[in-house]
Amino acid sequence: MENIMHNIENQRSQFIRPCTRVWLALLVLTGITYSIGRMELGGTQIVMLVLIITFIKGEMVAGFFMGLRKTSLLWRAIMASWLLIVGGGIAIAYLVGLK
Amino acid sequence: MSTQTLTLDSHKAGTPPGDLAIWFFIFAELLAFGIFFLSYAFARAHNVELFNESQQHLNRESGAINTVVLITSSYFVVRAVAAIREGLSRRCVHWLGAAIGLGGVFLVIKLFEFHAKFSAGISLSTNTFYMFYLSLTIFHFMHVILGMVILAAVMLKARRGGYSAEHHTGVETGASYWHMVDLLWIILFPLVYVIR
Repeated sequence: MENIMHNIENQRSQFIRPCTRVWLALLVLTGITYSIGRMELGGTQIVMLVLIITFIKGEMVAGFFMGLRKTSLLWRAIMASWLLIVGGGIAIAYLVGLK
Repeated sequence: MSTQTLTLDSHKAGTPPGDLAIWFFIFAELLAFGIFFLSYAFARAHNVELFNESQQHLNRESGAINTVVLITSSYFVVRAVAAIREGLSRRCVHWLGAAIGLGGVFLVIKLFEFHAKFSAGISLSTNTFYMFYLSLTIFHFMHVILGMVILAAVMLKARRGGYSAEHHTGVETGASYWHMVDLLWIILFPLVYVIR
């Protein structure tokens, strides 16, 4: 019984609480992205900031919500690569559009 | 209930939660959306003024609210997985129900947005921006519906006591798919509504 209670507490401290903090962080980062959009800010630095925020949000969802942070390097690398390729591609396309 | 059943990682060590097959499906979906996102970005690069002008007519508020709705829905699914890992079926059902409810809110907000655009005479053929905006968001909309169907099936099984602390792969599988739907919107929102 003591072991069960210990494991429940482990699950709460290692899974639920970090995910709750991630959820709140995601809301804050969404607020920042929205504010940038509302102020209609543009330009290379702003767009790069938005993309970095998006990458961080994506990594948070994949790592904590989807549980990939507890998996092998291969799974995490696939997800991180996808985020980097998509985010990097969007950044390159934006720079191409400036010319 | 054995000690092992309540460990954090109920799935095989090193592999993602849920059925492995869903992960191949998730990565196939991510690949398809990734190509779609990059197509949008490079089409924009050749029509910057048109995209910036058209983007101003989007309802950024509803896009942001929908982001909050999906993120929160995803968090509720996290809580559902945590509940079933503790063997709490009823609590799992409640969290899943709340997540599905928020999925419904997302769809309603999106339908209002689509209605406003279609009422204004905007369609896929209006211009390149709206072709991408409508097809991307409708494609994602269909995935939200599929995710809600999957979560509903999981919820019904959970309500019948079909999952336990020992056996809950189905819950983790549905959860993984729903998080992917959330992840896609997290990229779609800044790409279509914010970047200019």
